[in-house]
Amino acid sequence: MNDRAKNSDDHLLAANVVRAVDVKKVFKLGGEEVHALRGCTLSIKRGEYISIMGPSGSGKTTFFNMIGGLDKPNYGQVFIDEVDIASLDAFELAWLRCHKIGYIFQTFNLIPVQSALENVMLPMLFSGMPEADAQDKAADLLQKVGLGHRLLNKPTQLSGGQQQRVAVARALANDPAILLADEPTGNLDLKTGEEIIEMLSGLKDDFGVTVITATHDHKMLSVSDRVIYLVDGRIDRIQRREDLRITVGTIEEGH
Amino acid sequence: MNKENTILDDNRHRKKIGRQVQLPVSNAIKIAWQNIRVRLGRSLLVTSGIILAISFLSYILCSDAIAKNIAGKANQHQIEQLQRDGKLTINSEDAKTQTRWMVGLALLVSFVGVLNSMLLSVTERFREIGTMKCLGALDKLVVELFLFESMFQGLVGTSLGIIMGLSLALGEGSLTYGSAMTGLVPVVGIIKRVGICLLAGTLLTVFGALYPAWLAARMEPISAMRLEV
Ligand SMILES: Nc1ncnc2c1ncn2[C@@H]1O[C@H](COP(=O)(O)OP(=O)(O)OP(=O)(O)O)[C@@H](O)[C@H]1O
Ligand SMILES: [Mg+2]
Repeated sequence: MNDRAKNSDDHLLAANVVRAVDVKKVFKLGGEEVHALRGCTLSIKRGEYISIMGPSGSGKTTFFNMIGGLDKPNYGQVFIDEVDIASLDAFELAWLRCHKIGYIFQTFNLIPVQSALENVMLPMLFSGMPEADAQDKAADLLQKVGLGHRLLNKPTQLSGGQQQRVAVARALANDPAILLADEPTGNLDLKTGEEIIEMLSGLKDDFGVTVITATHDHKMLSVSDRVIYLVDGRIDRIQRREDLRITVGTIEEGH
Repeated sequence: MNKENTILDDNRHRKKIGRQVQLPVSNAIKIAWQNIRVRLGRSLLVTSGIILAISFLSYILCSDAIAKNIAGKANQHQIEQLQRDGKLTINSEDAKTQTRWMVGLALLVSFVGVLNSMLLSVTERFREIGTMKCLGALDKLVVELFLFESMFQGLVGTSLGIIMGLSLALGEGSLTYGSAMTGLVPVVGIIKRVGICLLAGTLLTVFGALYPAWLAARMEPISAMRLEV
């Protein structure tokens, strides 16, 4: 516990659930090159709650896609549980996405033709779990996110907040090590957003998952262990929770 | 988080990365079926295109088989009777070519219909496909989803088309040839031609869906994050 708090460097490699080393990403738009990431190095410990902040266009989503194995960097490496994801083939990548990472999207992204229960079951079926077991576990997870009474509703019959809860349950389906959420409260009102944030931080404690969110939402900061500020594709500064508490003023300023 | 938990977790995660397994085909069929049901309107439109093309094809093939069988097997008396009534005309080569063109066009039109609707299906579902890939779907599953979806339409359209075309050919035959038809229905010939129609329907729907399915399978998981089309 103590170790985790004071250790931000690489000397405890085994506990690094995510490690990005000098990650660069260039997008070619027509003839122009957009440098979305200009060399980001970051280690994230198991069980941490990380918020990535920064102005629009600073590269949050891009960085996110890199550490989530959704996109490949032009330069540098990304390790998940100390496995270089560039070394994985399509089947291993799919396995990684299925078992190790839970994705939560700004737009919820539930499968519209499936019920809440079926949506949560899907990643488990992908992982090869028998249908009956998947169904039990999905019902259990939906219960945990407070939707035990909505198992058979289709996404269109649920409110935005409820849809995001289903998405959280789905992200937890295969007991991932990492929860990746890109602006999970971006499409929610204040109160609902707060509930989702609370739930995410609760999950961190209950399930021991590592939560990584990109956000504009200052409410996210209070539950974060560390806040990473991205500016123009670079990590500008990193704030720890202890420092956050004292310098609430700075947070507001930083926006 | 207690210590024991952390160690357990660490052990679990130190395991090497595994290889993703394929979703059982029955699950893929189920999801494809859900997709069909939601897009029933468009699906029916495509299916009716297939019905028309295949019923045209099977009607042409089967009535040809019936006519040939009558001409070859009826007894002298029957044939004379039919010739006197002007009912036993063997179509000229020109007319045959024309019919072939029309059948070909009908098949082509319904092929384009299938292709079009499947392409639409893929583009309007980019986010869904991306999301499924984020959840661990393999390319093969995505291909299966679209092929099955198309094959449902193909199966219904082809069988209905065959039933329609065949009954039309039989009905017309018995009206034209009357008693000469009895016992002279070329069962084997008709079964063969129904087989050809089944094949045509299958090829139509599978090939119409192949390119869209391939496009969908190639879609990157990040497309799940895209906000607009
Ligand atoms: N697929 C792409 N093609 C071209 N340029 C891209 C692409 N994706 C991102 N970019 C560019 O990379 C930069 C970083 O984008 P990114 O989406 O990571 O920003 P962000 O911090 O997530 O912004 P926001 O807060 O608005 O979501 C931007 O300049 C963007 O225009
Ligand atoms: Mg973004």
